[in-house]
Amino acid sequence: MDAVEKANAERQKRWVKDRKVGEGTYAVVYQGREASTGRKVAIKKIKVGQFKDGLDMSAIREVKYLRELHHQNIIELLDVFSSKTNLNLVLEFLDSDLEMIIQDRSLVFLPADIKAWMAMTLRGLEFCHRNFMLHRDLKPNNLLIASDGQLKIADFGLARDFADPGHKMTCQVITRWYRPPELLFGCRYYSSAVDIWSVGCIFAELMLRTPYLPGESDMDQLKTIFRALGTPTEEDWPGHTKLPDYVPVGQFPRTPLRDLFTAASGDTLNLLSRFLVYEPRKRISVRDALNHAYFFALPHPSHPSKLPKPATQTSRPLEELDGNVEMAGAGPGVKANAPNKLKRKLTSPDGTELRPLARRLDFTQLAKHS
Amino acid sequence: MSNRTNVGGWLKGKTVRKGGITSSNGHTARSSTPQVQSTSSTVFSGGVKDASGRTTEYFSMDDQCPVCKSDRYLNPKLRLLVSSCYHKMCESCIDRLFTLGPAPCPICQKVLRKLAFTPQTFEDLTVEKEVAVRRRIAKEFNKRREDFPDLHTYNDYLEEVEDITFNLINDIDVPQTEARIAAHRTENAVLIELNLQREEQYAHALREQEELERQEKEQRALELRREVEIEREERETSQREIIDRLETSTKDAAKVIAKSRAEAMKRSSARTTTSTVLRSSAQLLRARAAQSTVIPDPPHIPLQDNWDSYEDLYTLKDQYDDMYSDAVRKDREGIMRAGGYRVEEAWDRALRCAVAGLDLPPLPGLNPSPERTDVAMASV
Repeated sequence: MDAVEKANAERQKRWVKDRKVGEGTYAVVYQGREASTGRKVAIKKIKVGQFKDGLDMSAIREVKYLRELHHQNIIELLDVFSSKTNLNLVLEFLDSDLEMIIQDRSLVFLPADIKAWMAMTLRGLEFCHRNFMLHRDLKPNNLLIASDGQLKIADFGLARDFADPGHKMTCQVITRWYRPPELLFGCRYYSSAVDIWSVGCIFAELMLRTPYLPGESDMDQLKTIFRALGTPTEEDWPGHTKLPDYVPVGQFPRTPLRDLFTAASGDTLNLLSRFLVYEPRKRISVRDALNHAYFFALPHPSHPSKLPKPATQTSRPLEELDGNVEMAGAGPGVKANAPNKLKRKLTSPDGTELRPLARRLDFTQLAKHS
Repeated sequence: MSNRTNVGGWLKGKTVRKGGITSSNGHTARSSTPQVQSTSSTVFSGGVKDASGRTTEYFSMDDQCPVCKSDRYLNPKLRLLVSSCYHKMCESCIDRLFTLGPAPCPICQKVLRKLAFTPQTFEDLTVEKEVAVRRRIAKEFNKRREDFPDLHTYNDYLEEVEDITFNLINDIDVPQTEARIAAHRTENAVLIELNLQREEQYAHALREQEELERQEKEQRALELRREVEIEREERETSQREIIDRLETSTKDAAKVIAKSRAEAMKRSSARTTTSTVLRSSAQLLRARAAQSTVIPDPPHIPLQDNWDSYEDLYTLKDQYDDMYSDAVRKDREGIMRAGGYRVEEAWDRALRCAVAGLDLPPLPGLNPSPERTDVAMASV
């Protein structure tokens, strides 16, 4: 047994698989725990043998990005190890997702709750974008809720880094209902604005409690969008008729959002309309969205511990995972946020001490091994 | 007097179908106006209208015109109408007597006009008269309790109204009574108009409320149907499950059935709890509101992490001499622009990656160049 195998075996011993929670197309999810502490985790076993060109792409993406991103609103990848021919990802265990909460008719949402969820989603997404990463599959189903109410973005199987000049990217990403019009038109060069559209759809869904733009096919999706927001003109979105898969879908008049969102405040509608702008370059950026008046207006966003949770905490039959039961916490509602360490350190230009940075190439370990 | 039992039906606006032909004894029946075949060219309107604005016409097999003695046996299309002096006569008599202008009533000699005849609603003509009189009086004397300083004066007013009504119905001192009505009308013209408007508003609100209630009821019925449907489906699947299990498992049949039953029970009880929760959503909202005072909601803070994005170490310029993004910047068709791609992001990324390395300790075993920082800064 060589050193690598020995290290792997050691890692494997740290985690215990308890029971199967769900099965997806390329992975089986188990609930497990850390052997030493008993902390609940989710173990995602990726089926390797099935694919003839080796490991599935999304598994590589998930490991690649989650290894680098550590943020309170992004799911944490605790460990990776292999067993026989399988790859195992150890993720934090989260009990529910936003889709379950939206669909649970017994829960009542306050405007402050929606604000809190939106703020947490945007914070997680801002961190992705700040590190030049597109998530490319934002939907309520992928926004998991921890037991203390914190929302965490999960499923980085479609994520990739962006801003490479001249690199084509695939347009077959993002679940259809949350897919922006530029991807539906087959655009191969896009930006962080694609995630913003999805956030807009989620925002609307939180208010409506039903998917905002549920298209039945890719064609129908465009029609659904235009029916809701009006067909874009060349002025609204310069150059969109030149996009590879452009097809005229018919003329629909623009109806004011107020007609559908009758109870929403002016700030809310303003933010929503800026998420759902056709021209991607004019769509609001995550950082601007976080500084939008909507978030500062009363009511303040709900404290995470007070957010509605589904009453019955059943295990979800899906491939994505679930929240971390805080063993240390005294229970929901008591544990407050970690003290706000707030913002980036804008001082200390001397930079003598190490700054915490998201993507660091750690040469020290490399040097040690060599 | 069997039609009397139908009075309630009339008040509720129900149309009692014409039964003249079906009732074999040939006693009484009613029909709404359009079903009565009129032999006259004149359209007789008026009469007692119900809530929906229709007139239900009284109609009996024993009808006989008091003037020409013609009856339903001789003339199956016989239609009796009521004069303003509350005497009945048939349409052909009315046509014969009044077509040439006003003429005296053949029974009481009061001068009548053809258009003053109205369809009959009640069998008893005194009731017909009373209803008509009360309607008329209610329009004029529409003061309310609020319009009086105390109960006593209001009671006096009601007494007076009842007095006038009684006089009109029984034809006592008619000219005097009419004079009283006219006096009241001139005295209280403004108030009467105001109360009329109020009544209209009230009726309108009532209609709206009824409509809302109806919609709510429909919604509830729909939900109930859906629930029943779900329950039925569940029952079916559970039955299918039992059969499946009995087929495949080797366990005792009774045990398998008992287990499946228990599961089905659990499911159905779970459903009832969710539906009760649904009903008390208002309470839930109140509970949430109460809770919000216990743990305060902190104001919004845009970013809560302490990761550094090195924005203090560089400033992004508008233009760079960059051969890699040439194609993008030229972008003949504007495709990249339309898709939202921005080359500034590429530059931003390149710069940030460059400055992020400045803090790293040098690799052990390598010779770091002393002017490392200066070089990097200069390139920015």
